[in-house]
Amino acid sequence: MAGDADLGGERVLVASDLAKTYEPPWPDWMPMGRTVDVLDGADIEIDAGEIVGIVGENGAGKSTLMQILVGALSPDAGTVERSGQVGWCPQEPLLYDRLTVRETFRLFGTAYGMDHDAITEARDRYADRLGFEQFLDYRIDHLSGGNRQKINLSIALLHDPDVLLLDEPYTGFDWETYLEFWGLTEELTEQGTAIAIISHFVSERERFDRILELADGHLEDVTDAGPSDAASADPRGGSAPNGDADGGGVDV
Amino acid sequence: MSEVASSAPGASASRARRLRTGIAAQIRAFVRTPVNVVLLIALPLVVVEGYGIAMDAFPQLPFVQAGRLAEMGRVNGAIYSVAFFAGVLGLFQVISARQADERLRICGYSRGELFASRLITVMLGTLVITGAALSVLAWRTPPEAPIVAFGALALAALVYGLIGMLVGAVLPRALEGSLVMVFLVDFDDFLSSGMLNLDSPILTLFPLHFPHKLFRSAVFEGSIALDNAAAGVTYVLVAGVVALSVYVRLTGNGGDLA
Repeated sequence: MAGDADLGGERVLVASDLAKTYEPPWPDWMPMGRTVDVLDGADIEIDAGEIVGIVGENGAGKSTLMQILVGALSPDAGTVERSGQVGWCPQEPLLYDRLTVRETFRLFGTAYGMDHDAITEARDRYADRLGFEQFLDYRIDHLSGGNRQKINLSIALLHDPDVLLLDEPYTGFDWETYLEFWGLTEELTEQGTAIAIISHFVSERERFDRILELADGHLEDVTDAGPSDAASADPRGGSAPNGDADGGGVDV
Repeated sequence: MSEVASSAPGASASRARRLRTGIAAQIRAFVRTPVNVVLLIALPLVVVEGYGIAMDAFPQLPFVQAGRLAEMGRVNGAIYSVAFFAGVLGLFQVISARQADERLRICGYSRGELFASRLITVMLGTLVITGAALSVLAWRTPPEAPIVAFGALALAALVYGLIGMLVGAVLPRALEGSLVMVFLVDFDDFLSSGMLNLDSPILTLFPLHFPHKLFRSAVFEGSIALDNAAAGVTYVLVAGVVALSVYVRLTGNGGDLA
């Protein structure tokens, strides 16, 4: 998943004036779908070593934005420039149910262009960090939701990307894995990896350099908006595991 | 950073490795789906013999050689079983992991590589089902020219494998896609079987028209109908180009067809 632009300097991802409307392939008068405007002039820039939270209410278009940023979906208007390797952790683990964990890493590692030793080394590293060594020979469809999410995340990290785009990455994690996840993101940002985390809820806002809110089709910086500006500061109402009770939150 | 293949000479080796890994993954997924294995074994046996028994119960038709109804039924059953199996296999190769395929594309596979890995898996499946169907047929109706008969059956399977992939790209839903394949193969097999005294140029557009003629001549006469073979191969090539074009156009982009 190589980048397609040399942005120069520290900036690794620039998206400008993104617009996206979902239109059914049949006329509006047919009762089988409707036009949905999702993005309208959304801009985002992410620098190396930066960790950015993107929040928004259900249906705001966060996953659509993520798919456009990663290149899985074409915008109707606007541009996306990426620099370096990109890692994508989609909201739903998009994996092959009947392959084992080991085979899954081999397949995606090969897709990244990694050799056998590099795949094995990276796989074992993340299996150790996130605690799924004992499941390497399990089929994906035999894993629990939390373990599947660990594989989903590890596949995004496998090739040491320069830009990491994570869509609700800690859904289903237990508390230990949740903390390990944040430890991992700290190490990655120290190494210069840019990380964007999409969630309908961002807890522990001090972990983020910036927080952007997606509403009405565009992004607004709400980093300085205190908990009093947000609709709710209860982190347990979001996707973080229980016990995540400290720090302010933005729930929109 | 991990070691990433990028040099030009290494690019084709990398492409070959991606293709190999993709095919191996597809084959593993295929054999780990119990219904696939059951169909592979049971379908030729049930359909070839079942068609033979059913046809044998028919009254003599004026344009079918006396005493050949059961054999005609088995021949139709052999064609039906390989075409249906390959069609459904092609369909599910495209739709079963559509979203995971899109992630794999984002990670480095091209759409062409994804299509090729699915097609090669379909081709391997068609060879196995063709062998199984021909074996069941040969048990009661030994073909006069078995190698040609195998080629004709494989041609029928391959054309429907491609049609299955095409239907999967256009209609990525298991139930609807399967119904289309059942109707299409059944209708095509019946009209192309030669049991009806039909003489319409429209019939030549049916996917099984030429493979059926080639297969019947190989089984009953031991001859190679070269014109039918050439037409059948041409049909497969055209179906392949159409399936690839539609697959590349319609898959991906988050399933957004607009």
